[in-house]
Amino acid sequence: MRGSLYLAWRYVTHHWIKTTILVASITLIIFLPLGVRVLIRESAQHLTARAEATPLLVGTRGSPLELVLNSLYFGTDAPEPLFYSDLESIDSTKLALTIPLYTRFRAQASPIVGTSLDYFAFRDLDVVDGDMFAILGECVVGARAAERLGVAPGDAVISSPESVFDLAGVYPLKMQVTGVLEFSDSPDDDAIFVDLKTAWVIAGYGHGHQDLADATAATGVLRRDSTTITANAAVVQYNEITPDNIDSFHFHGDIGSFPVTSVIAVPPDQRSATILRGRFEEGAGFSQIVVPSDVMDELLGTVLTVQTFVLAAAIIMGLGTLATAGLVFGLSIRARQRELMTMMKIGASPGGIRWLIISEMVVVTTAGIAFALALTALTATFGPPLIRSALL
Amino acid sequence: MRRLLTVAALAVACGEGGGGDQPASAGARGDGPPTAFVVNYPLEYFAGRIGGGLVQIEFPMAGADDPAFWQPTAEAIRAMQRADLILLNGAAYAKWVDRVTLPSAAVVNTSEAFADRYLTVVGSVTHTHGPEGEHSHEGTAFTTWLDPTLAIMHAEAVAAAFSERWPESASTFGANMMALREDLEQLGADLRVATAPFAGEPLVASHPVYQYLAAQYGLDVESMTWEPDEMPSERQWRALRDILARHPARLMLWEAEPMAEIADRLRTLGVEAVVFAPLGNRPTQGGYLDGMVANVERLQVSANP
Repeated sequence: MRGSLYLAWRYVTHHWIKTTILVASITLIIFLPLGVRVLIRESAQHLTARAEATPLLVGTRGSPLELVLNSLYFGTDAPEPLFYSDLESIDSTKLALTIPLYTRFRAQASPIVGTSLDYFAFRDLDVVDGDMFAILGECVVGARAAERLGVAPGDAVISSPESVFDLAGVYPLKMQVTGVLEFSDSPDDDAIFVDLKTAWVIAGYGHGHQDLADATAATGVLRRDSTTITANAAVVQYNEITPDNIDSFHFHGDIGSFPVTSVIAVPPDQRSATILRGRFEEGAGFSQIVVPSDVMDELLGTVLTVQTFVLAAAIIMGLGTLATAGLVFGLSIRARQRELMTMMKIGASPGGIRWLIISEMVVVTTAGIAFALALTALTATFGPPLIRSALL
Repeated sequence: MRRLLTVAALAVACGEGGGGDQPASAGARGDGPPTAFVVNYPLEYFAGRIGGGLVQIEFPMAGADDPAFWQPTAEAIRAMQRADLILLNGAAYAKWVDRVTLPSAAVVNTSEAFADRYLTVVGSVTHTHGPEGEHSHEGTAFTTWLDPTLAIMHAEAVAAAFSERWPESASTFGANMMALREDLEQLGADLRVATAPFAGEPLVASHPVYQYLAAQYGLDVESMTWEPDEMPSERQWRALRDILARHPARLMLWEAEPMAEIADRLRTLGVEAVVFAPLGNRPTQGGYLDGMVANVERLQVSANP
C-alpha cells in the first residue's frame, strides 16, 4: 500500500505538467459551484445583516434601493433630501425614535455622515480612542477611515469640495477629530461622523464670519443703515470652528427647512411600526418609508437568479471537465501499457498495479479538492467585501 | 451601555417606563440618582422643588456671569451627553445649544407649550459684560419666567418630563408640583398688587429683559442696555433723555443694584432706580421665591416712597 502510494507520488511529480492540468481541472469542477454559492451566501449575509438591523428608513419618494444603499452603506450618490421638519413630524407621533442622516459630503474617499448621538447607540458603536464629538465642528472617525486618512484624536480632517469647478460651491470645513470608533466590520468603519448641525455648516446653512459691525470688516460690507448691515461676497467666512470664533457661527432660516438625506425610524414594537408605515402609505407627501431588509431581499433575489444561471453553467462545465479528466486518465493508462507490463514482469501483481493507478487518481483528486477548498475559504473571506464594493 | 441610551430614548419617545420604588437612571450614568441638567436658575429651582431630591439637578453654568450667554467647554457638554434629562428654557435662551451636540431624546424644551406667546426684542445693541464677551438681546425675548403664569407652565413641563421618564415617582412629582404651583400663583398675585400702581405708567429698564413681566401686568417699559457696574457714556445718557422726553418714566428697573453715581444722576433726571432681579442666575442668598418676594417688596416701596 505504502509502496503503491510512493510510486504514484513519484509518477505524478515526474509528469508534473499533466498532473497540474488534472489538479486544476478538478479544482475548477469543485470550486466553481461551491465558490459561487459561498460567495453569494456570505455577501448576502453581510448585506442583509445591516438592513435587518435597521427597522425603517424614511426618505424622499424615488428609488427605495438608492435610499437604502445610501443610508446603510453611504456608497451611492445621496438621494434628494427631506426637510428636517419631516423628522420632527415623525417625532411628534411618538411612534419611533428618529435618527437623522445627512450624507451629502465626503472628505477624500470617506463619506461624512451628519447624524445625532442616537446613531452610535443604535449601531452599538463606541469610541475606543478619544471622545465623542461635543461642539460644532468636531467629528469622530471610523476605524478604517482613521487608518486611511492617518488621523487620530487632536488631528483634523477637511471636507472635500463637491466639484473642483464649482467656485461658488460649499466651503471646505476643517473639522477637529475628537475620537476614533471601534472597528465594526461595517460601512461605519469608512465614515467620518459629525453632528447634523456641523453637516449643515458644510452645506452653507450655517456659517461664522467677521463681525460686520467691526471696522476690520469694512471691505465686506455692502450696505449699512441704522438697523441692518448687508455683507458682500468679500466678507471673510471661517473655514474652521475654534473657541475664538464659535460664537460667530449661526444658522440662517428655519431649521425645519434644512435638509436630511434620510431618517432611520426605530419603533419600539411591531404595532408602532405598522401604524407609522400606514401613515406614510396613506399620505400623499413626497416622502416614502421603506423596510430596508425587504429592499435588500429584492436586490438579492436578482443576485440569486443570476447565481442559478452561474451554477447551472458551472455544473455543465464541471461535467465536461470531469469527462475530460476521465479521458486523460484512460488515455494515460493506455499510453503506459508497456510500463505496466514491465512492472508485472519484474513481479508486480495485477492488484498492485490497480492500487498504483488508484493511488495516482487519489493523489490528483485529493490535491484538486484541497485546492478547491482553499480557494473557497479565500473567497468566503475576501469575496464579500469585493462584491459589496462592486454592488454599492 | 449606549444601547441602554437607545432603549431609554425609545421609552421616552413612546411614553413607556420601568417600575420600582425609586426612579431608575435610564441614561448612560447607570449608577447613582438620575440626573437632569438645567440651563438657568429658575429651572434649577423648579426642577429641585419638583424632583424633591429624587433627581439630581445639575446647573453647570451657575458660575457664569449670565447663564444665557454661557460658553460651554467640550467637557461640560460631554457631561451633559450622559444626563438623563436636559431641561431647556426655550425662547432662544442659551444660544450655545445650537453649537453643541446633545442627545435629542434627553432634551426637553420647557416653554414649548407656550411658544406662540414668545415676545421679541427689537433694536437691541450688541454689548459686553462679564467674561462671556459681546452679545445682543435682539430676537426672541427669553426671560419668560418673569411672568408667573409662564413660570407655572415651565414647571409643569418639568413635572411632565420627570413623570414620563420616571413614572414610578410620578405621584411625588405631582404633589411637589402642586405645592410649587401654589407658591407661584401666590407670587403672581403679589406681583399683580405690587405692579398695579405702575400699570399704564411709563417705565424704563436698564436691560431688555422685562418683556414678559410687562406683558402680564400691563407695564409700559422702554429698555436701555446699561450695566449696573459701568457708568453709561454721555451718548447713552442723551439716549435716555430722549426717551424720557416722550416716555416720562419716574422709575427705572435694574437687574442689580446700580453704582451710586448712576443712581444719583438718574435722580437728577427725576428717575428712581429700582432693582427687579430676573434671577436668571443663582442668587448669592436665598432662593427663587425669596428673590422674587424681595422684588415685590422693592416695587411696593417704590410705589409708596
